[in-house]
Amino acid sequence: MREQFPILQREVNGYPLVYLDNAATTQKPQVVIDAMNDYYSNSNANVHRAIHTLAGEATDGYEACRTTLKKRFNAEKVIITGGTTEAINLVAHAWGKANLSSGDVVVLTEMEHHSDIVPWQMLAKELKIELRYVPVKEDLTLDMEIFEASLEDAKLVCVVHISNVLGVCNPVEKIISLAKQNGARVLLDAAQSVPHQSVDFQEIGADFMAFSAHKMCGPTGIGALLVANDVFQQMEPFMGGGDMIETVSIHGSTYQTNEHKFEAGTPKIAEAIGWNAALQWMDSIDLESEHSRLLGLARWLSQELRSMGMTVYGRHDDNDAAVVSFLHPTMNSEDLAHLLDARGFAVRTGHHCAQPLLERLNITGTVRASLYFYNTKEEVENFVKHVSEILERFA
Amino acid sequence: MSDLITLEDLIEEFQDVEDKMERLEMVFELSEEVDFLEIEHWNDLTRVRGCQSEAHVLVSIEDDLVNLKAGADSKLVQGLMGILTIALRDISPSKALELTPEFASEMGILNSLSPSRSNGFRNMFDKVMEEIKEKM
Repeated sequence: MREQFPILQREVNGYPLVYLDNAATTQKPQVVIDAMNDYYSNSNANVHRAIHTLAGEATDGYEACRTTLKKRFNAEKVIITGGTTEAINLVAHAWGKANLSSGDVVVLTEMEHHSDIVPWQMLAKELKIELRYVPVKEDLTLDMEIFEASLEDAKLVCVVHISNVLGVCNPVEKIISLAKQNGARVLLDAAQSVPHQSVDFQEIGADFMAFSAHKMCGPTGIGALLVANDVFQQMEPFMGGGDMIETVSIHGSTYQTNEHKFEAGTPKIAEAIGWNAALQWMDSIDLESEHSRLLGLARWLSQELRSMGMTVYGRHDDNDAAVVSFLHPTMNSEDLAHLLDARGFAVRTGHHCAQPLLERLNITGTVRASLYFYNTKEEVENFVKHVSEILERFA
Repeated sequence: MSDLITLEDLIEEFQDVEDKMERLEMVFELSEEVDFLEIEHWNDLTRVRGCQSEAHVLVSIEDDLVNLKAGADSKLVQGLMGILTIALRDISPSKALELTPEFASEMGILNSLSPSRSNGFRNMFDKVMEEIKEKM
């Protein structure tokens, strides 16, 4: 597989690149690069309105991405966005502003990415809604008792499927079921789950599901918001402009009734074509067996890091992601990351855009190694060897 | 590294080193050059913004010489502070203001550090220069 990813052939600081920052973004296979290159080389045009051949090809390419997404996730409404963050902001503006009012409750968790906290804090300020945060327990799971208690009068529950820091997979089926029993809508942040597992949107029962292309071998700058049919009808346009209208006069405008209503302006055409290529490429991957292989590597890596005195923040249960967040008792995490970079290893440091979670863990950041399809056992073994050497020399 | 080391010496030393890890090690060692600002004196006024780590600087002017106290929770950041300490050693405030952060590029430090760290260095440099201006 590795030969399909041109970037994996390069060296960094004189050493072969070992890319372990996949929870931030994944690398792109040649088919994705080729698809985008082909669009710009041969079919570049704006979508939807023009009748010429190029516009037809561009429109077909763009809409093919939506069709693939609908099929892959079993969703009837797929709004193409700029990514997970934009998708969540779209829910806040297009659904939140039309359906929430002063005193209404939105339930969040301490495990959320900032993208699933800040839009709600902004909306709370504007609409005077109440935000309730479900705490994370010492075993790194959500406190489900407090979650159930938080549901009283809740209109919306926002929950991350898999934590980008801990790799912990939340019991979203149970969360969605409890929320529904209490009449609340559910927004699922699936940015870290859909790259690793199949998710059936209608079966899981969420009202909204947000994710990004770039975490699943697709391009940056594009993502999707899946919306349940009935909720789609409750959404008002967020951004106005081209493509989202039906008619415009000086007296007023009417809007499209399909997903285009929420895709104002020239959309991400090349990115959609690249994402479609990535999704088709992913069809060749056996997600279950890859998940099992990567989780095995993550468990082994965690064990080795612990034996070196590191604290590992994760449990790596069967459904958890292959994300290993760790800290050395004395060596600063960024110092360690810089030293690893000197040997070609790309890892993440810092708060990973999840400061409330880190505050709960009483830390300000971690080093995070996150694995994906193209990572090998040899790379992980090499990583352990170099961490050990760095600690011997610098700790 | 000795007290007698000059910025010119440092630039030459760094330019001779190819391996990034060795250059980082040299920066780590330069953390010893810092006149350490004790943690109890770290506050919002001393904090360097735009730096991923906790980094603090305090500038004073005594006998027409710049005095820099600094501290960070990262050895690398403190090493960068050490370089700045050497650059400012025994010079007047007006001479200090002639300094530009380019010396870090000449040493290959900015090439060896991440963009965020480089920005942190520049923010630290800018904060020190602003404080010198204020206290002149």
